[in-house]
Amino acid sequence: MLDLYAMREQFSQQQIMLCFNGPISRSLLEEIGNALRNYLAAEHAHPSASMDVFAVYIEMTQNIRHYMTQRDWSEQDASATVVVSRNTEGRYVVSAGNLVEQADGEYLVNSINALTGLDKAELKGLYKEQLRRPRGQASTTGAGLGLIDIARKSSEPLQASLRPAEAGRAFFSLRAVI
Amino acid sequence: MIDLHIPATQSTPKIHTEHAQGRLVMQGDSYPENSYELFNQVFEWIEGFLAEQPPRALNLELHLLYLNTSSIKAMMEIFDLLQAAHDRQHPVKVSWFYDARNERVAELAEEFKEDCSFPFDILAIARSAP
Repeated sequence: MLDLYAMREQFSQQQIMLCFNGPISRSLLEEIGNALRNYLAAEHAHPSASMDVFAVYIEMTQNIRHYMTQRDWSEQDASATVVVSRNTEGRYVVSAGNLVEQADGEYLVNSINALTGLDKAELKGLYKEQLRRPRGQASTTGAGLGLIDIARKSSEPLQASLRPAEAGRAFFSLRAVI
Repeated sequence: MIDLHIPATQSTPKIHTEHAQGRLVMQGDSYPENSYELFNQVFEWIEGFLAEQPPRALNLELHLLYLNTSSIKAMMEIFDLLQAAHDRQHPVKVSWFYDARNERVAELAEEFKEDCSFPFDILAIARSAP
């Protein structure tokens, strides 16, 4: 039987503010985003910090939805696992994961790892370069604008990982500390 | 020329134009999944206005808050249109208003301004807590 109390304890211990697992529609993504903003406001998060957390949540989840659309996966396959929590230093942590084709996952992890060695000025340069790329070419070369934006808003290097999952696919996950 | 009167939604800003005054106002958050569905009509309005003879000044009044990267790309293309107009001596101006407590919005506006040589004001407004 599902032990709700144990789940609750675990959520509290890990300071999880919000978590979601399942198919993510556009309207659900917006509603969860709205809830996130309300929680942040209730915690009296600074408007800038609050906006960064919200921005990272939006970029991560929209990236997942764009991927599903590109791959032409069904709404049921468009599942995401999203967690917003705080770490022991009180910083907000946004994590999101989804199923990907193995090769796509490897490409993503490599693109993200390539960003981790860059300082803020280098990230800004790369961001502006990506912004200037003609529409349509943006997602085929290096890390997309969304990932660079997430890296710029993070106080620590992004952590990306890939694990084998069902049906020959892999589970990709990304963690950003704001 | 038909003016735009687009109401805000949860993820898109209110967009309003006044052709007679040469004014375009955008207000709110912008984070639709596909920003071009929304901004294409804004590009068309601006291009139409800037193509008119004799040329009249165009003022953009922005009260934009959070923009996702898709909207940032669309805004950059709007500012490119204004820059091209400015380069041919067409008067254009941007005034971007932001809540003084939220410096992220000012930083965002500042990054756009770096690539523009037309008048681009970033104005803090003191606002009481909601």
